[in-house]
Amino acid sequence: MKGTKTVFKLFTIVQYRQEEAYLSAMHGRGWKLSHVTFPGFYHFDRCEPEEVSYRLDYNPDGTHDKAGYVQMFSDCGWDYLLDFTGYSYFRKKCAPGEGREEIFSDDSSRLDMMRRVMRHRGRTLLILFAGVILPQFFTQTVGFGGGSEVQDVLSLIYLILTMAYLALFGVMAWQFYQYEKRLPTECPGAKELRIIFIRRKKKIINCMKRTIPQTPPTNFIVFPT
Amino acid sequence: MDAHIKKVYVPMTETGFYILLCLQTPGHGYGIVQEVKKMTAGELVLAPGTMYGSLSKMEKDGLIRFLLEEEKRKLYVITPLGKEVLEIEKKRIERLYRNLKEMG
Repeated sequence: MKGTKTVFKLFTIVQYRQEEAYLSAMHGRGWKLSHVTFPGFYHFDRCEPEEVSYRLDYNPDGTHDKAGYVQMFSDCGWDYLLDFTGYSYFRKKCAPGEGREEIFSDDSSRLDMMRRVMRHRGRTLLILFAGVILPQFFTQTVGFGGGSEVQDVLSLIYLILTMAYLALFGVMAWQFYQYEKRLPTECPGAKELRIIFIRRKKKIINCMKRTIPQTPPTNFIVFPT
Repeated sequence: MDAHIKKVYVPMTETGFYILLCLQTPGHGYGIVQEVKKMTAGELVLAPGTMYGSLSKMEKDGLIRFLLEEEKRKLYVITPLGKEVLEIEKKRIERLYRNLKEMG
């Protein structure tokens, strides 16, 4: 069998989880990631099938301070692979019997990462949208119908591109909102607070049980005597 | 105290708490990971993405400051602001514990 393989895959900026799963699955089938080339060519090398966690981090500070960033991950057992479209790729062999490991140990930092993605990628998208597509859209649509067929086709293309960028940004924003919504309260003591409230509720219910006679609910209407 | 600091760090995450606790003496990221693992008997293992992100964030917010770099590892230590925030958290945890003991 050949020693290398190249697969073309397009993962959007919000699909890093799917990308992680895909790379892990490939390694499990005996293909370890070697490098990625724009716009989405994944190059693999033949290897022993292994259970390996692949994780992507988005950290512009990290990419600036590369040595320290990679060292942190390396200390924790993660191998640094490459950078692609702003994401840093890491992998770590799974411990026997353990599932895939994460590079985030709390939701707060996970959310921070998504926020960074939103901010940077969203900003890029916005600049692209405002600086390139919007003016083109307007100049092209002015010629809609009145101009040549080529202009009409171009207008249509720009319209589709505009919609696509809006859709992409919308999907990202929606996913981010969904994730933030189901985030549990990340603060120590939240669990204890809940216990306190549940116990208080139980106490109140017990008090009520003692004062109200435990008769089967046959007659709810009490006639004043 | 800055309203932004209050909003983000009162109350703070467990990760943030342990970072400030450990950085009362100078230390680097992985050192904190190991210390916390020992402190919590292996129950809390801080991950690198979380660690690096939290340290950068706290440095930007002025709760910790960079001292020097040693073998590619950045050494940080808590600042007076960090100590202030940690004190608020300490009081909050003590209050929680008091109430838990009372009702629990």
